[in-house]
Amino acid sequence: MTAGASPFGQSIARVGGVERVTGAQRFTADLKLDGVLHVKLVHLPVGHARIIAVDTSDALEVAGVQHVLSAADLPQPVPRFGPASRDRPVIASGEVKYFGEPVAAVAAESEDAAAEAAALVRVEYEELPGVYSIEEALAEGAPLVQHPDLRGDTPLAHTNLLGEWHFGWGDVDATRADVVIEGTYSFPMVSHFAIEPFATMAAVQDGVVTVWSPIQHPFVLQRVIADVVGLPVSSVRIIAPDAGGAFGGKGYPKYEPLMAFLALRTGRPVRLVLSLEESFQASRRAACTVRARTGFDREGGLCFQDLEADFLIGAYADIGARVVSKASYTASGPYRTPNVRIVARGVLSHTVPSTAFRGFGVPQLAWAVESQLAEAARRLGLDPLELRARNLARKGEDFIPGDTPADGDWEQALRRAAQAVAWDTPAPAGRGRGLAMGLKSSATVSVSNAIVRLHHDGSVSVLVGTSDMGQGARTVLSQVAADELGIPVDGVRVVMGDTSVVPFDTSTSASRSSVFSGNAIGLACRDLRGQLCSIAAELYGEPEEEIRVDGGRVHVHGEGLAYGALLKDYFGPSRGELIGVGRCRARYLPEHPLGGAPSFWELVAVACEVEVDETTGEILIHKLVTVSDVGKAINPQHVEMQDEGAAVMGLGHTLMEHLILDEGGRISNLGALDYRIPTSRDLPLEMATFMVENQDGPGPYGAKGAGESGILAVAPAVAAAVQAATGVRIRDLPLTPERVWRALMEKGLSEQPIV
Amino acid sequence: MTGRTYSVSLTVNGRPHTLDVPAHHTLLRALREQLDLVGTKECCTEGECGACTVLVDGQAVDSCLMLAVEAAGAEITTIEGLADGDRLDPLQAAFLETGAVQCGFCTPGMIMTARYLLAQDPHPTRAAVQEGISGNLCRCGGYNRIVDAVLAAAEAESS
Amino acid sequence: MRDWTRPATSHDIVSTFAYHRPGTIAELWQLLAESAQGVKLLAGGTDLLVPVNKGTELPRVVIDLKRLDLLRSDISAVGGHLRVGALNVLTDLIGDPRIGRHFPALLEAAAAVGSVQIRNRATLVGNICNASPAADTAPALLVFGAVVNILGSRGERSVPLEEFFLGPGLTVLQPAEIVTSIDLPLPPEVNGSAFVRVTRRRGFDLGTVSVSCLLVPGAAARFGFGAVAPRPLLAVDDTITLGDPDADPTEQSEALDHLLEVSSPISDLRASRDYRLAMLASLSRRALQLAAQRLRSARNGAAA
Repeated sequence: MTAGASPFGQSIARVGGVERVTGAQRFTADLKLDGVLHVKLVHLPVGHARIIAVDTSDALEVAGVQHVLSAADLPQPVPRFGPASRDRPVIASGEVKYFGEPVAAVAAESEDAAAEAAALVRVEYEELPGVYSIEEALAEGAPLVQHPDLRGDTPLAHTNLLGEWHFGWGDVDATRADVVIEGTYSFPMVSHFAIEPFATMAAVQDGVVTVWSPIQHPFVLQRVIADVVGLPVSSVRIIAPDAGGAFGGKGYPKYEPLMAFLALRTGRPVRLVLSLEESFQASRRAACTVRARTGFDREGGLCFQDLEADFLIGAYADIGARVVSKASYTASGPYRTPNVRIVARGVLSHTVPSTAFRGFGVPQLAWAVESQLAEAARRLGLDPLELRARNLARKGEDFIPGDTPADGDWEQALRRAAQAVAWDTPAPAGRGRGLAMGLKSSATVSVSNAIVRLHHDGSVSVLVGTSDMGQGARTVLSQVAADELGIPVDGVRVVMGDTSVVPFDTSTSASRSSVFSGNAIGLACRDLRGQLCSIAAELYGEPEEEIRVDGGRVHVHGEGLAYGALLKDYFGPSRGELIGVGRCRARYLPEHPLGGAPSFWELVAVACEVEVDETTGEILIHKLVTVSDVGKAINPQHVEMQDEGAAVMGLGHTLMEHLILDEGGRISNLGALDYRIPTSRDLPLEMATFMVENQDGPGPYGAKGAGESGILAVAPAVAAAVQAATGVRIRDLPLTPERVWRALMEKGLSEQPIV
Repeated sequence: MTGRTYSVSLTVNGRPHTLDVPAHHTLLRALREQLDLVGTKECCTEGECGACTVLVDGQAVDSCLMLAVEAAGAEITTIEGLADGDRLDPLQAAFLETGAVQCGFCTPGMIMTARYLLAQDPHPTRAAVQEGISGNLCRCGGYNRIVDAVLAAAEAESS
Repeated sequence: MRDWTRPATSHDIVSTFAYHRPGTIAELWQLLAESAQGVKLLAGGTDLLVPVNKGTELPRVVIDLKRLDLLRSDISAVGGHLRVGALNVLTDLIGDPRIGRHFPALLEAAAAVGSVQIRNRATLVGNICNASPAADTAPALLVFGAVVNILGSRGERSVPLEEFFLGPGLTVLQPAEIVTSIDLPLPPEVNGSAFVRVTRRRGFDLGTVSVSCLLVPGAAARFGFGAVAPRPLLAVDDTITLGDPDADPTEQSEALDHLLEVSSPISDLRASRDYRLAMLASLSRRALQLAAQRLRSARNGAAA
């Protein structure tokens, strides 16, 4: 396809890297609009309350305040939105349903004026009993988080169950197993804590509503804004500056609809930058409790997996139903399990709306399932490596009956991880090792479009609806285009982040962009190459079949013409361009539980070696290794960077991260001081990431997606290693020093005093 | 705006400025809002994340924990002040080389802290760098490449 | 949390404060006399600016101490002690070879405070005036017998550090008083000191429990405890068994347990009471062991 060195598969420099190291990169909060009004939100120190009255009179007296908006100012009934169901009001309406839900929004000439006025908005409210945990939400007589009238046509309308899903095959109850492992596992609420707090702006001009947001899915936001404001999609423009980290937390609309209304009300551009604390109150991962029963035969073969998973969703569904169903569908992991029963529930609660978060429900389930396997290995006296290898689905195997077969040599990843921690040698004294695997379904039904414009000078613009939130989509996709057209990567400019310019893309999620956008770009480039052949045939009278496009040139009559030269001949002095279009779509399958089959599987194997200070409970990770099955790395350095980052993020929920609620549903550890995430001093002593590249994915050159696998199985690997080192088994995350200490105490291993 | 303001004269990236600021505005806000130097980022505003790190008279500080009025007479260096025209500072180049930049939001603060660390010790050990940047949070990457970048820059600068 | 009952105010934005930067002590007393309420003194700012940024506590007047000539001095040797001035930041402390030589536990404690950015601004004096029960430098300062030098409009006084703290955020300082310096008496040449703590992560953190220990031959062992009471505590082993390498281990254990009785840890966001009690006991033993080790080295060094 291309002569000379193609950038495909090379670790080329990040596009946009220079801007980021010089401070020139403009994130949403860095943008300035003329005449902008600064917005501050008003929220109450409660988890659940009835709003009795909102008095804005004092706030309006503050110099510079232009508007104070509350539910009363909006069309009645207050418009509602959501990516899956229209359940969320633009602003709290009648009730505050989670700690941080805005009750009013002040727009003023300066941030100081807005903050001053926000403090003067008087809200009369009555605190109400709320449900803040799965137990509370499901208890008899529990207050309903959402009014039944708003739940649509579901038998669950009078409950706090958002949904209940049943998956599986075979017959678990009829299956006999020699050994059954039972356990209940908990995974906490965790915050995305992107270093960029959430920010958004909106403006209205000439009947077009423009919204700026570091949103991962600009076209979802476009649709939601159009719907909630009552405009055609063509009258809504989303500009999405690259996000300063997102991890799923910036995927779905939050306060953008509110800002659109503010812009319409005031007739001025409006700007909202959340504090870090408010960002904590805007999105989080769903907490999860899993009751697992796993049956094995004496040789360690899996007989059945019987899983009940309850996910604590927040006050509004957001994408919660999808998180629960998609993750639960594959809960049994990358294994051959003849009998599986999965019952998964999404439970509404008066808490911050949970949303997508890297791994999309899989880390929560892998925590349980992989811990079960670790326990089984101990009980059966088997090597955890061999136990997994015995049960791993082989490439091509139909491990989820009727669905996408296993698409990788997963045992290769498993053994690579084990080898990297010298698994077959005894661990040094006082240390223990653990292994775990994680499997995630990639994107199912979705579509990516690409428009590739070949300019008259031979340079190329690639228009795609994907977003770059740090994962390097811009770079990777420019490599794909450069490779397809045989031109240097410098000749390609990727355009993203403006729905008025770029074509529709479902989302930047599910690790799908390299495959979907990559394929779409490939198709668009092939379209261009076809057009080049066609115009060359027309110009030079050579049959089209005899014309080749190769190495960045069009070969006609034994001569290789540069694209620019050909276009010049074709269009003449008034110039022109060629436009190639490509679309990559995964089919919508209404009968499929996920709406479509997984395009590929994201798989990781994790191995680690730890040491535990049995006096304090502190864990020291000597080695942490992840191996991801990626098909083909378009930019190897980018994949490694993502995997490392995902692994460290996994260490966060493994060792230290959890949102703590008080009895009133307020987040107690709100902010960076008491919500701890890993720093450079919290790293394993040795960390490594590896890739398995067998070119067996559906993307360009056999690529699969990447970016999420690294986080999927860190927790169970570490917990298994802790058990190996100390004998204690812990089923709740995070493994804080105090939790580990307590487990050691209960096991009688830690006696006072010990030095 | 209304309310009392104070006149503050300071030097930023080699250029003198006189600002009118209310007392409660931090140096971070003054840099971003009045001087349009938005390379320095705002995140936690309580000294926990380091995204706002700048050099004040050569010292790395969290600019969110300094009032603008305190900076009177000081020489401030922000991320925008490191490159020399098109020529990147060795740290900036190293960050790009080693893959230390993903979303880039923590990057300015990281680089300013690293600039300070190398000024204090041009040949730091890996452990010293890891310790030195521990006041700068990164959520995208795993810190190791950032440490690699600082060590690479140290080597480049000493040769 | 915002005060929802705040009355209506004038049209102007009042969420700001007056800022003064006196050059002489006389100016300072004048300012303090004029402003009745809501005055905050500013040195490093790493404590004060947090509630200001969060909007939880806005002073009416901020007085910046950094131009006061009286306070601008380097760490100095004065008589038999080292004097740390009000404006000396933790980075200065950590970089001073005399601190490392005579007060290694204090150096370790200071190095544990925050990040390098914080330490470049935070002052030792500010750390103790903030009077957090978990102030990491306090246990080490206590075992070394730090003395706080206070200057008021009416004159000077000195207070041993163990009498300086009254409770969370509370010290013996009166409205028109400032701390000018902290004196650290040089310990005898042969000694062993240690600082240990446990945190929620290895990255910088407030101490869940912190302990410092100082052993001087023939003298009572001294322990400083942080985050286990409303204020940092000093505990002195009157039995003299803890510092004695030949003492009966059972007696030593009892002596230590007795010392720990002064603590009254609570359960909070960071840890439970149980864990704190257990860690206090364990860390005290670790600190003792470490101090004893260092004492032995010092003895051998002195003997050589």
